[in-house]
Amino acid sequence: MSTMLDQQGRAAAVLRRFSRTTTAMLLLVVVAGAVALEVASSGSFFEGSSVRVFLQYLATPILIGLAQMVALCVGQLNLAVGALGGFTACLTGVLMADHGVPAVVAVGAGLVTATAVGLVTGLAIVATRINGFIVTLATMTILLGAQYRLVGTRTVDGYSATLRDLGSAAPLDIPLVFVTAIGAAVLLGAVMYRTVAGRRLLAAGGNPLAARLSGISTDRQIVAAHTLSGLLVGVAAVTATASLPGVNRSVGGDWLLPSFAAPIIGGVALTGGSIAVFGTVLAAFVTRLIDAARAQFSLDPSWVNLLIGLVVLGTVAGGHLHQTRLARTTAPSPQPGGAR
Amino acid sequence: MTTSVSPPDTVPKERTAGHRMPFWVNQRLGLLVLVIALSVLFGVVRPAFLDQRLVLFPLLRDVATLTVVALAQMAALSVGHMNLAVGRMAAFGAMFAGIGYDKLHLPMQAGLLLCLAAGAAIGAVTGWLIARTGVSSFVVTLATDFALLGLVSLMYSALTEDAAFTTRPAGVDALRSYSLADICAGPVCGSPAVPQLAQFTVLAMLGLGFLYGGTRVGRELLLTGANPAAAELSGIPTGRRVLLAHTLSGLLAALAGFMAAAGTGTFRASIGDDFMLPSFLGAVLGGTLLTGGVVSVLGTLLGTALVGVIRKGLDLLGVGLESLNIYLGCILLLALSADRIRTVVSYRKVVRST
Repeated sequence: MSTMLDQQGRAAAVLRRFSRTTTAMLLLVVVAGAVALEVASSGSFFEGSSVRVFLQYLATPILIGLAQMVALCVGQLNLAVGALGGFTACLTGVLMADHGVPAVVAVGAGLVTATAVGLVTGLAIVATRINGFIVTLATMTILLGAQYRLVGTRTVDGYSATLRDLGSAAPLDIPLVFVTAIGAAVLLGAVMYRTVAGRRLLAAGGNPLAARLSGISTDRQIVAAHTLSGLLVGVAAVTATASLPGVNRSVGGDWLLPSFAAPIIGGVALTGGSIAVFGTVLAAFVTRLIDAARAQFSLDPSWVNLLIGLVVLGTVAGGHLHQTRLARTTAPSPQPGGAR
Repeated sequence: MTTSVSPPDTVPKERTAGHRMPFWVNQRLGLLVLVIALSVLFGVVRPAFLDQRLVLFPLLRDVATLTVVALAQMAALSVGHMNLAVGRMAAFGAMFAGIGYDKLHLPMQAGLLLCLAAGAAIGAVTGWLIARTGVSSFVVTLATDFALLGLVSLMYSALTEDAAFTTRPAGVDALRSYSLADICAGPVCGSPAVPQLAQFTVLAMLGLGFLYGGTRVGRELLLTGANPAAAELSGIPTGRRVLLAHTLSGLLAALAGFMAAAGTGTFRASIGDDFMLPSFLGAVLGGTLLTGGVVSVLGTLLGTALVGVIRKGLDLLGVGLESLNIYLGCILLLALSADRIRTVVSYRKVVRST
């Protein structure tokens, strides 16, 4: 009897602790937002087709958020997320449409290119010791130019029907591209939380000096993080190519801000060393919900930017208040009955 | 006009004549030589480059505007922060000027003041948030960028018919098209290449140069950037200095927005869309450190001028718009790598000679 009570108590404590985390709050926001939308759309939001559309356009925000998160976890930034994604998407599209390359090869080439660009970025940062912000700003500019040179002002849409079918395929109303994004998130989570390589990344981001003293090459971790970030952007580009009606030079143009919004709302620290795969995915859900609500009430698209900006600012300020309150409540506990 | 709070090991190097850094380490001199050499090169290859009215005048007008943008970034960089929202703050400021002219029928100067006040206010709010919460300036300004992006386009679509304020009071058109050739002292007129819009740039540069080079507050800003903990311990109200730096940044961004709007003739939401890259290019090429503590007002002008000359020159040489970005990115990387190599080499030389 007492053990059962014990267990209940412990479960309650775990629940209470969980209820104070960012993840729980985000989960609550997602559920509340979805219910509110369901009510507002008088019951059509949970219908198969609208769920499918909702999830279809959720894949890219999740993947670019994760790509940014990987860079953030070693204390780096990746400003080139959007440009690299757009470039890769255009490259894949042009290879298929203009050169008749089969879809599998084109997708492979896109993924390899994105990963290689990430690798080169990482190597450039480590070799020149220039701030990663500036290096990725430069690669962003270069890639934007390359993307424009690749497609110019046209829209490439004559590419493989197989890829397009895969992009719009949705068994049980769950689109394959969304499954891909979730799969990538699960894999990334497994790597980050369960493998030595993931631990090394986190250690290098959390405390570079300590990591170096314990035999971890921070340079190698920076290169690894940028490479992984490039790969994830490549996957995002492939999902975008598969689900968009065509690729042109505007693909990726609006990825930069959401890529930062998802990890930041999800609870990832910009200083490095922390990671929140589930939180990032949930934050991408939140931003997508805002977009869906915008469409529901047929508002100006600018509302989305305004709201996301305010949400990030609110998260930042709220997180700070939470921290100070935590500090105030936990500070006296090490020495109870002390001078205070 | 470089002002820096150097780490202790470099201060004696600069002061004592015995083992000075070699002269070619001076980044601004290199930039000046590069700007002149490139201008001459482009002028020889394409004589049209030196056409005062058709090429140099718009070039200098762009350089004047982008220098102010880069100065806005420099103000934030001086305390070791960033302002990713420079472009949107410019749009925000310009929007208020547009409202002032269109709805309130203000004269030009009053609209400019309103624009500057709006920019300073939004900068102050950002700075206050950063100082109060201690969150990285990158996140806060990024979020501000989001929010302003939405807000500005919403305001434009609510207040205007075709998403632009087209009412212009007397004087704005003059700013757009007048050059020094329109100012004559007796028979002597100025050059038709120098736009009158550049007066704002000169004022901003003089003001910032005086602030960072000649005032106590400027030194405190730099010290806050170089070492916040040391600044705090030496009694500098770092929070207030951060607030000041961001206010300045917002003010200058709004000024740049006004200049861009006056230069194109309309006040629209897309002003400042392409300000972010030039703001970092100009400041960083000019020698301002991303980590804070070192600023260079003159270098910022030279860095922006270099980018402008390269852009215009490649344009005249027939390099397409699409390739310009590729070259600009490569130039940024090369310039910074070269700078890094130069610093390392000269540092070794200095160490060997001591």
